[in-house]
Amino acid sequence: MIEWSEQHLMIRDTVKRFVDEEIVPNLEALEHGDMPPYDILRKLIQTFGMDEMARARFAKQIAAEKAGSASGKKDRGAKKEESQGSDGRGDATAMSLIPIIEICRYCPGMVTAMGVSLGLTSAAIMSKGTTEQKERWALDLMTFDKVGAWAITEPGSGSDAFGSMKSTAVDNGDGTYTLNGNKTFITNGPYADTIVFICKLDEPGVDPKDRKIMNFILEKGMEGLTQTQPMRKMGLHSSPTGELFLSDVVVSKDHLLGGKPVERSKSGAKDTFSMERSGVAAMALGMIERCLELSLKYAKERVQFGKPIGEFQLIQEKLARMEVARINVENMVFRTIEGAELGRGITFAEASAMKLYSARAAVEVAMEAVQIYGGNGYMSEYLVEQLARDAKVLQIYAGTDEIQISAIARDLLSRP
Amino acid sequence: MKVMVCLKQVPHQDARLDVNADGTWIQDGNIKFEINSYDTYALEEALKIKDAGEADVVVVSIGPDRVTQALRTALGMGADRAIHVKDDDADLSDTLGCAKILAAIAKEENPDIVFTGFMSDDGNFSAVAPMLAELLDLPSATGVLSVEVGDSLKCERELEGGALEVVELPKPCLAAIQTGANQVRYASLKGIMQAKKKPVDVKTMADLGVSDAGAGAVKAKIEKVYVPPKGDSAEILSGSTDEIVGQLVTKIKELGVL
Repeated sequence: MIEWSEQHLMIRDTVKRFVDEEIVPNLEALEHGDMPPYDILRKLIQTFGMDEMARARFAKQIAAEKAGSASGKKDRGAKKEESQGSDGRGDATAMSLIPIIEICRYCPGMVTAMGVSLGLTSAAIMSKGTTEQKERWALDLMTFDKVGAWAITEPGSGSDAFGSMKSTAVDNGDGTYTLNGNKTFITNGPYADTIVFICKLDEPGVDPKDRKIMNFILEKGMEGLTQTQPMRKMGLHSSPTGELFLSDVVVSKDHLLGGKPVERSKSGAKDTFSMERSGVAAMALGMIERCLELSLKYAKERVQFGKPIGEFQLIQEKLARMEVARINVENMVFRTIEGAELGRGITFAEASAMKLYSARAAVEVAMEAVQIYGGNGYMSEYLVEQLARDAKVLQIYAGTDEIQISAIARDLLSRP
Repeated sequence: MKVMVCLKQVPHQDARLDVNADGTWIQDGNIKFEINSYDTYALEEALKIKDAGEADVVVVSIGPDRVTQALRTALGMGADRAIHVKDDDADLSDTLGCAKILAAIAKEENPDIVFTGFMSDDGNFSAVAPMLAELLDLPSATGVLSVEVGDSLKCERELEGGALEVVELPKPCLAAIQTGANQVRYASLKGIMQAKKKPVDVKTMADLGVSDAGAGAVKAKIEKVYVPPKGDSAEILSGSTDEIVGQLVTKIKELGVL
């Protein structure tokens, strides 16, 4: 794949129209006011029929699981059967990435809010939950009727999420668990209806680092659960981020995701991380495209010393580097789509490399766009100021740059 | 019921328009195109009829390869099939030539209703719709803001000064739709995926038996396309804010505009 297909361009145009009509007029309220992104995201999902598609996909998976259980097969078997064949998988991937690109041209925070609910929270329930849990909680998240949050990070644990995790679950022995802990930097935390809370089983006598990991599904309003107001942060203002405090939250066992502790299978986590990391490349592409377009326009219009600044070589160098970054990141997105179409996906190391490069490229391009705009670029009135603040998070969340580098290097060193 | 919608693909509203080398049109080789905005409202009216019951919506356009994208977009929004008149000579037609080509298609299709946009964003003639109605001997209405479909087509038209007029057209008929008539829908992702499988018939003028359109039949030839030179009637006021305001008030009084 070396360019967008006619069909992809149609999707880009139609999503672009939605962004122009629904997001751009609300950008001030989303980025500098108190407007949460959820109503617009819900409208996006309904407008493009993504909720209907999610319902169909959900019904198919649940039917396969139930048929599998009835015939004595394991759920996993049904899932495997469903995932065979690559027909249209490239287009399906493109369909999920294109809205990310188009929204990120203006409002990367909205993609974060949407991605955490649809991509992380519902995906966690759909991959690890029991059929009953999927029916009870996942479908409403997949259609965005409800907002989801995925709570792993704690004040003392970020990159070393499991090693330093302090949140606990105590098995009360009566079919209930008591949960305690503090979670921070939780996307959608202030508004989430459904929360996947990750903690460790309280196992006296077992070294904390070896204790079992458990995921619980929490609901807004549970006794002992506090969801804070949105935290103030550098960028991504349209993505509400909050803290969660759990003080003796008692839940029945049907809230324990999958009905048992998490199997420490690295491959499952890697699949999630790969998906998340390739999503970051699409986010970076949208931001880079917009910064480059705005910079080119400004370089032609802004006159200094009697000529447009685009005629100065130092500005040209910036524009040229931006274009190189745009081509590279676009090719990474194309590679993701092509890999899906061929049914081979992308490796974990590739996804990490893509995330590392595209995050750095987005930050460099956005900061250079601010530089081209000069004093205007430093003003909030101009979009490049917001995109520059937003871009920085790409180097931090979904695995820091440093974690990506380790993942790439470990993969290289592990090869025979 | 069958509804035919005539679509024109025009330069995108954000496209940079430069006059071509021989000064006869714009440079259109490397710009983005979209469906004429008026025509999107016409398409929406047709799709509303389809939503309300049984209707086959056929979209028709004249133009080069790129027009396929406009037709596929319409199919993605919900139209059932498309007819693409792809003929280099047809592209050179004037408004009457276009109307003749569209009339030939309408005669083959026999629609109950023909919808067009009130005018095109690029040519601004507002001529094809009434010409097409005349060639087909159909009753028609232009500047239509809303339609009510029954045994006939009741059209609410926009008149000068904000007044409205309601006319009733027996079917078959033609209505040229004004912008703002409705809320144009988005193509859903599923719709766009399905659009690939919907039929697009490609035809030439010869296929349609039209010989009196195209370059040879053009009556009004474009003499020149140009951007008017900047005039010297604009005056930039200078000085402090108070001075500028003073000068502006004096000017306004001199001109007697208030």
